[in-house]
Amino acid sequence: MSPLLEAKGLTKHYGATIALESVDLQVHEGITGLLGHNGAGKSTAIKLFLGLLMPTSGSAEVMGKKACESVDVRARLGYMPEHDCLPSNPTASEFLTHMAQVSGLPPASARTRAADVLRHVGLSEERYRALGSFSTGMKQRVKLAQALVHDPTIVLLDEATAGLDPGGREEMLDLIRRTGKEFGISILLSSHLMGDIERTCDRIIVLDGGHISEAGSVSRFTRETQNIIIEVDNNLDELVKIMTREGMKATVEGPLVIVELEHEEQYDTIRDAVVEADATLRRLAPRRHGLADIFRGAQS
Amino acid sequence: MTEYSSEVFDLGYQRYEGPREGRMRARKAIWIDGMRTALGLGRGARAKILPGVLFGFAIFMAVIMSLVATAADSSDDIPTHADYYRIISVILLIFSAIIAPELLCPDRRDGVIYLYLVRPLTTTDYVASRWLAFFSVSMALICSGQLILFVGLTLAADESLSYLKDNWMDVPRFLGAGLVIAVFTTTLPLAVSAFTTRKAYAAAFVIGLFFISAVIAGILTECDPMDLPSERSPGYETALEECEPRTGEVGKWFGLIDIGQVPGHVSDLIMDDESKSQVARQVRKLPTGIPVIWYLIMTAGPGYVLWQRYRRLRV
Repeated sequence: MSPLLEAKGLTKHYGATIALESVDLQVHEGITGLLGHNGAGKSTAIKLFLGLLMPTSGSAEVMGKKACESVDVRARLGYMPEHDCLPSNPTASEFLTHMAQVSGLPPASARTRAADVLRHVGLSEERYRALGSFSTGMKQRVKLAQALVHDPTIVLLDEATAGLDPGGREEMLDLIRRTGKEFGISILLSSHLMGDIERTCDRIIVLDGGHISEAGSVSRFTRETQNIIIEVDNNLDELVKIMTREGMKATVEGPLVIVELEHEEQYDTIRDAVVEADATLRRLAPRRHGLADIFRGAQS
Repeated sequence: MTEYSSEVFDLGYQRYEGPREGRMRARKAIWIDGMRTALGLGRGARAKILPGVLFGFAIFMAVIMSLVATAADSSDDIPTHADYYRIISVILLIFSAIIAPELLCPDRRDGVIYLYLVRPLTTTDYVASRWLAFFSVSMALICSGQLILFVGLTLAADESLSYLKDNWMDVPRFLGAGLVIAVFTTTLPLAVSAFTTRKAYAAAFVIGLFFISAVIAGILTECDPMDLPSERSPGYETALEECEPRTGEVGKWFGLIDIGQVPGHVSDLIMDDESKSQVARQVRKLPTGIPVIWYLIMTAGPGYVLWQRYRRLRV
């Protein structure tokens, strides 16, 4: 299957600053996360795919074409920018109807789509309110709605949860998940928040300093890096000493001992070590590595 | 008894399978939105005040001039379409300076422009559609008054049918002159608006440009009062026409500095009329092609700047 987004040797320099350097990546159907620190090159990559920026070298193609050269491709593309992009005067309904028409939909269809999409993002009741009176969370939903109003094949979301409180963030992530899973619209979600990507995406691309440091399915990363968490009330140092003697890789993280699981029999060895150290066991559980660990690993 | 059965379906999200009209629809949407913005439609009452007042004034002036034509004793006292342009072009310049920035500045200030540019629309499409929107409103403003005046003059004539027969060519003339004025008053303020996100700065700059250039041109084209007879003497108008500015032979060129009168020189040529302003008198001493070429430079130049400014939004 041909990729929806494909970068080949994509490089972007702003004067002496290198934003992206020889990046090769492919984004297929589904929800893909673009993870990286601020300044890692996520927004630059998205703008290069959208055709808002021109690459210094290499190419960024959407469905096999360059977005800056093909208006047909842009009719199938949605974009939710990180920054503010909403006028204050029109109502949500007027704005979405207008954006649908700018995307090429006839007026009657544009009105219908605007109403449908506003219902899907949970703003049906507020559709006749001026955008200037909306809260940050509601504005984020309108930004998502305008990216979906013309039913694109793929949507590029740049820091979609920026500025939201925990509740609003959870609702936005749920909306993004539904958009990707139920609506059948592919998504490229950029974020510097590992939790957002882990909870929402099927695949992940980690950008660091303008380079791709990791790429693959989220489940592959979390399955392949399984750890065991041991929490004891006392004799922590003694326990670590015994486990190290038994050939286990044990590290202390605050009140926890983390052991890299190499085979199932290690559970018995740990049990025996706890008995030998005369420690009171609180917790013994497998832990999946979060994306935060991968991210830290990439950094180191 | 009939049994009724029903089922509730949750249609959920529906993919859009309808027509996609692409670039033409996008251009049209930007054009219509631009006209609505210029007229203050879909916005608060305050946004409608200025366009409403200006349209009202344009029509009011046409009605007043028609009434003057009805009451005129001699043909010299009957107002002409060129007279109407001299009044309305000042109004249109103010209207353009204040309203034109509304079409461009907020889109860049609010970041909406980036939503437009990722849709089936090029920067050229966007700028051309916004330009056309303001041009359409300007033409409507100009032509509505001129049409009312033409009807008024026809009705005021002793023989309406013969007036119509003799003067029907006035219609393409005032449409052509209106086109010249509207192209200029649309392009320059939009070009200025492309350099700021603040509407007030753009409006102040354009009004300042018109005002300062008019003052400078007025000073540089002024004749020495000592060379002129008394204002009430019969030869005063002729003397004004023939006098040499204080700046000497080159003074007639300084008339071109008055930016607000640039389209007026060309519209006077089209309307076959002569303005009595000192700047226009001096410009008339230049070869006929000069004001036309100057007009083309003063519209094509800002037009090119406007186009380039938006092309550079993709870097």
